[in-house]
Amino acid sequence: MNSVIEVASLRKTFKSRDGTSRAVLKDLDLAVGAGEFVCILGPSGCGKTTLLNVLAGLDKVYEGRACVSGGRVGYLFQEPRLLPWLTAEANLDFALISCRVPAARWSELKSRYLAMTGLSEYRDYYPHQISGGMAQRLALVRALCVEPGILLMDEPFSGLDEITARRLRSDLLSIWEGTRKTIVFVTHNAYEACFLADRILVMSGGTFRQEMRVPIARPRSYDDPAVFQLSRDVIKAFGDDIGREPVPSAIPATEPSLVDDLDRHAAARMNI
Amino acid sequence: MLKLLSMVAAVIVWGALSLTLPPEIFPGPIETARTLWGDIAGGEVWTDLVMTMLRVVAGLLLALILGVPVGILMGLSRRAEAVLDVWVMIGLTVPSLCYAIMAFIWFGLNEGAAVIAIAVTAAPSITINIWEGVKNIDTRLVAMARVFEATRPAIVRRVLMPQIFPYVMASARFGLGIIWKITVLVELIGRPNGVGFKLFYWYQLADMRQVLAWTLLFTIIMLLIELVILKPIERRVFAWRPQVAV
Repeated sequence: MNSVIEVASLRKTFKSRDGTSRAVLKDLDLAVGAGEFVCILGPSGCGKTTLLNVLAGLDKVYEGRACVSGGRVGYLFQEPRLLPWLTAEANLDFALISCRVPAARWSELKSRYLAMTGLSEYRDYYPHQISGGMAQRLALVRALCVEPGILLMDEPFSGLDEITARRLRSDLLSIWEGTRKTIVFVTHNAYEACFLADRILVMSGGTFRQEMRVPIARPRSYDDPAVFQLSRDVIKAFGDDIGREPVPSAIPATEPSLVDDLDRHAAARMNI
Repeated sequence: MLKLLSMVAAVIVWGALSLTLPPEIFPGPIETARTLWGDIAGGEVWTDLVMTMLRVVAGLLLALILGVPVGILMGLSRRAEAVLDVWVMIGLTVPSLCYAIMAFIWFGLNEGAAVIAIAVTAAPSITINIWEGVKNIDTRLVAMARVFEATRPAIVRRVLMPQIFPYVMASARFGLGIIWKITVLVELIGRPNGVGFKLFYWYQLADMRQVLAWTLLFTIIMLLIELVILKPIERRVFAWRPQVAV
């Protein structure tokens, strides 16, 4: 398998004000193959977002090697990050201009992905006029419009209510099955990871603790008992492992909607 | 509608209060309006009004040219902030009369000195506004733009400027409010024409009808500028903003 993302001995330290430095990423190794859907699962503050920022090129100060090939990188943030003074369509245009996508292709790209996410009617709406779920879908359209080879996603559905998040996860999977982009998806939700991923990397304290393949056949259904069973196993197998390493930064109180109702108890124990 | 009603009420109160003093000391609204109409019909208001307006516009432009870059610099650089914030406070504290006197003594009794005095007085307030605005810039949007490979000039133009622009608009409006008042004061002490000069002239002649007529004229012009020019611009430019319901 040819890798489009190769990370070797990646280290990243932050200096705090009193001069002490804290390692956020500790000798990380990662290889992601073309068209693969990888989930990085870990508690808040474990370095997931830092890793994505390095992969996206937002963070250029690090040691080790982080090599991303295989086309443009698309990034879906935890929040939609739409420009509030532009309409939905103008927000897409902003991305298309910035990425220098030939103008001849714009209307086809926009129409395709807007239709795919059910937003075709909302081209002229401003971000504050649409719901949070729609705004996040629009952000997904924006990321897809520029035809990235690799899509990085940073807990993109964690701020949404569970019903909306569920729909978006299914939408994402069908889009992925249609386009086969490489996706690195960061989450703290074990159920979400098991539903989406080909492979799950469990991260804690700046390193990967475990790695597992998801054996569930595609297309998957969100209510598949196999997904449920697997997410339980993941938490059982890795929960203690994660719990042992104290997370350096304060962990914000887990929002109830982030944790799948089924495993709230186990999840709370490991702060996932 | 309510606005109109409140104005009508204010005119009635003015009329009632004016009855307590002799008309040459406290003229009522009808008397004042008649005097104003006489001035306008006589054609002598225009020179003064135009001169005052020119000073206001020139002063505002210069104040923005001075205030906006300093505000942006202070918002972007901690070092600049540390050095400049005390100076902004000092600039804000010194009374406008001091600036006017200094400008006229140092640069002579001319238009340039007047505009400098006006601009220097207003600039610190504009700086503070912009400074706060730049500090409020959403850097997450900048990160978003960088992910989409936006060039640096494009980020400045399409992500940063739109975020700073509301603060520039606000400071222009707010600066205008200050600048009207300073201009009148500056005219009073150092110019041979303008609304401030006229007010002082009539004050020395103790002609309260004229003093109130000029005050009224000035207020009407200010309101017109606010309602006919600034409000519509603001409404158009900020159409994207959500309505806040409290």
